[in-house]
Amino acid sequence: MANTENQHNFDNLWSDVCHLFPILSHEKHEYLAQESPHDDLTTMQAIVSAGQEELVEQLVLTEVESQLRNNIVPVFWQRFSVLDGRTQSLDPFKDAVDCLYESLASIVPILQSLVLLRQTAQTERQVCGQSSLLETFKVMVRASLHSQLPLNYQAITEDFYRISFKVFCNSENKDAEQNESTEDIFQCAGCGQEVELCQCQSIINAFHETNGKLQELDLLERLAGDVLTTLIHRRIESHVQETCKGSFDVPHIGSLEGWLDTVVMGWLSRIYSSGSFGFRESENKSTVSSVETLSKMKQTLRYFLYETYTRTRIDQLFNIIIEYPDSEPAVEDLRICLQKIDLRQHLTQKLQRALETRLLHPGVNTPDILTAYVAAIRALRTLDPSGVLLDTVTQPVRQYLRWRDDTVRCVVTSLTEEGPSDLAEELSRGEALQLDDLTPSEEDTKNWESWNPDPVDADPSKTSQSRRTSDIISMLVNVYGSKDLFVNEYRTLLADRLLSSLNYNTEKEIRYLELLKLRFGESQLHYCEVMLKDIYDSKRINTHLHSDTNFNLDNQEFAITAMILSAQFWPQFNKETLELPEFVQEHLDTYTKAFETLKGNRTLCWKPQLGSVNLDIELKDRKVNFTVSPIHATIIWHFQTKNQWTIEELSQIMHAPATLVRRKITYWLSQGLLHEIAPDTFELVEESGPRVKGHIPADIVCDDEETESAMASAQEQREEDLQVFWNYIVGMLTNLDSMSLERILQMLKMFALQGPTTIEVSLQELRHFLDRKVAEEKLLFYGGVYRLPKS
Amino acid sequence: MAQNVNPHSASEPSSSIKCNDDRQKLSKDNHAVTKRLQRELVDLMMGAEKAVSAFPEGENFFKWIGTINGPIGTVYEGLTYKLSLEFPNSYPYSAPVVRFTTSCFHPNVDTAGNICLDILREKWSALYDVRTILLSIQSLLGEPNINSPLNPMASQMWANQVQYKKHLHETYYKENGKDK
Amino acid sequence: MKVTIKSWTGVATWRWVANDDTCGICRLAFDGCCPDCKLPGDDCPLVWGQCSHCFHIHCIMKWLNSQPVHHQCPMCRQEWKFKE
Repeated sequence: MANTENQHNFDNLWSDVCHLFPILSHEKHEYLAQESPHDDLTTMQAIVSAGQEELVEQLVLTEVESQLRNNIVPVFWQRFSVLDGRTQSLDPFKDAVDCLYESLASIVPILQSLVLLRQTAQTERQVCGQSSLLETFKVMVRASLHSQLPLNYQAITEDFYRISFKVFCNSENKDAEQNESTEDIFQCAGCGQEVELCQCQSIINAFHETNGKLQELDLLERLAGDVLTTLIHRRIESHVQETCKGSFDVPHIGSLEGWLDTVVMGWLSRIYSSGSFGFRESENKSTVSSVETLSKMKQTLRYFLYETYTRTRIDQLFNIIIEYPDSEPAVEDLRICLQKIDLRQHLTQKLQRALETRLLHPGVNTPDILTAYVAAIRALRTLDPSGVLLDTVTQPVRQYLRWRDDTVRCVVTSLTEEGPSDLAEELSRGEALQLDDLTPSEEDTKNWESWNPDPVDADPSKTSQSRRTSDIISMLVNVYGSKDLFVNEYRTLLADRLLSSLNYNTEKEIRYLELLKLRFGESQLHYCEVMLKDIYDSKRINTHLHSDTNFNLDNQEFAITAMILSAQFWPQFNKETLELPEFVQEHLDTYTKAFETLKGNRTLCWKPQLGSVNLDIELKDRKVNFTVSPIHATIIWHFQTKNQWTIEELSQIMHAPATLVRRKITYWLSQGLLHEIAPDTFELVEESGPRVKGHIPADIVCDDEETESAMASAQEQREEDLQVFWNYIVGMLTNLDSMSLERILQMLKMFALQGPTTIEVSLQELRHFLDRKVAEEKLLFYGGVYRLPKS
Repeated sequence: MAQNVNPHSASEPSSSIKCNDDRQKLSKDNHAVTKRLQRELVDLMMGAEKAVSAFPEGENFFKWIGTINGPIGTVYEGLTYKLSLEFPNSYPYSAPVVRFTTSCFHPNVDTAGNICLDILREKWSALYDVRTILLSIQSLLGEPNINSPLNPMASQMWANQVQYKKHLHETYYKENGKDK
Repeated sequence: MKVTIKSWTGVATWRWVANDDTCGICRLAFDGCCPDCKLPGDDCPLVWGQCSHCFHIHCIMKWLNSQPVHHQCPMCRQEWKFKE
């Protein structure tokens, strides 16, 4: 009996419960029609007194969840799958959200009843990790939504936000340029409609409404977060690209930060702050959380902005460097950004690659590489005052320059060049040279408070002092690791200049020498000093010899003046021979005698191929004056005795190589005095007619006189140098038995590589050389040391 | 040619005076001496001389190590000797201090390696150099001066070349190790 | 054709007329200068002894000053006398 009664009571209670929560009944109309005998509160009390409140809540929530899974969410997602392709409208997304919102809103009363039930039972519990039923519900919604996520949902959300962002940006711009004439614009830049039909405002309204709803449902972040982030990132990227396009002379950091704060953050804050419908539990809580979300986003986006900007600038860095110092604002921006973002490694790699592809190949002139290198030194020093970046990035440039034969020559030329040149300017600043191999004095202890450690990528073998202070000329000289080769090349260049101008005017050269001495030190340039003094002394000797009649120089047929050089101090002369006409040689001999008389115990050795000759040439129909080199003069001289000469004959009588004669004779061809009647046979042109002049091929005229040097270039002596090394190495190993590679190099540097004709050798080069000797069995290598084989 | 003299008897007091003198002129003369020694090294390295060899020890130009081979046709043939050469700041106006570092059994060489040779003393000339010094010492090996010995035992034994050679080679390998 | 030379600027190197290239004392080239000098030629001349040997004047002077008793030519050990 009791059982039946219980059963009956339970049935009654169930029907009341179903009335209270219609969702539990699958035939809800029936229950709705009947009038319930009890009000809700009574039912709840009954449930509680039966101890079934937890069971009821579970049942209801299960139903709600199945409702979500089976009806609401599928309907929502269906709206996405129906569409394909891009739309220019907000509607699909908006409608879907509206519909979802409505469906969910219909559940809210059920939840409210459950809340009441809990209150009646005075219990608290957590479902789905949430103590609030509303939150539990939201968790369920999100779970259901995610469990059924269709593939293409992002496209629609993206459209939605893209369109609205465009509208938004446009309205911001409009505010900024209100006064600008809009007559020509037929299309609204925001919505793409004709101006009269502009939908911007309605788009904005719809946009806010939808966001509000999503925000309320706590779905905004989940549903649109990714899309928003991607969209904003893309937008930042394109904005940065736009801003940076080709202009390096304006700083952009400030304006970019401003743009992010106003436009991007403005848009975001509208998205996150809009909406307050029934799903909010407390206004305050949500505002606080959205402010937090926004400031977090702002931080992330700022970081992203810096990174994007930095990467863009790094991609452009080569051009920025080339335009330095005009591009200083861009460099400064980059410097600021690098402090916020660690992209040093990226910068190093990118720039090195750019340098390699754009600069370090045979198609680029050495002077251009040098110009770029100088610009890089300046720009990178601004970018990173510690000099580490410069050191690492330009390493390949230095290495490459080392391989170019004409590097030193180019540097020296541009150092002492007339007219504006970066290097000449640097030189005239007159600072002492800072070299890597110098041990710097104690680092300035006065400024210890402002001391900063070197960045982690610094090369520990170099002192930070040397990196921070070395100037441009030092950097260039350091391309070669030492100033000796550099000074040598300068000496060769100076010799060429003095011997080609032959005008005894050394003032300008003395000025440069003084500047160079400030940099390179007296002793290095001592040889050059003697050279200049030779020129100065020659002038005095010439004047003296010509003014004193005892020397018999005044009754000569022509005046001889001489450059009298101290051979030991000049670079090696090319070993060219030339037999001058006897007539000329006699005159030179007279001069030599005069010199011997003047100087006692000293005599002269003429360099017949050097010098310059002024001569008149009288032909049948004309008289021409020329200033030519001795070899030119000698060639034409011989045509006085004979009208026709072959190269072979001339070469014999002049004691000069045939190739040289052939090269030099072209000058007279170009002047129309000779013509080639048969291969290698030349004839004097006594009468100039138009027929001869017309015959001169254009390319003959360009005699490469300018590029010729009377000196053997410093680079040419390499092979000889290596043999010299070998002698020294044998010497040291004979007496010191066995030595490591480093020790050998050290000894070579100390004892072999001294004096003005210094040779440079690197560790690698030496190892290579010694390995070769080991292979030739002239050397043993065992246990890290080299020794000589027992003889 | 070169005559041997007792290194202890010759100009001992004056060398200490010279020492002070050296120090005063050191900075000025150092450069000139280095230049000359540099020149000598170049000549040695580039020259064809194979009988003697020398090279700076490593710190500077003022201390060298020399190597000579015993002259062919003498009891010293086949033996190699190392010497140290220390140059004063007054070089080449005064002689370097030359010592055997390899133990050398010889009438004119004492147990500390000091050499009794006139050109290193009163017969010194500024024209002598590392090469000529080493060549002189090399020829001294085969032509000792038995009348002013630093090593009386060697001096007495010299007359008997067979016995001398035996003793020489024994002491050479005993004191300098087999591999020398 | 007639070629008339109006002027000729030649290039020559000077050298001492001596029977050797280098100074036996300093081992540096006669045509250079002794280690104490900077400028060759007039500023660092050669001198000959009556024995016909020659040296940089600064080198032989230093040698003679370093010899307490006999002033000998470092080459031939004859008494050093300057050649007139």
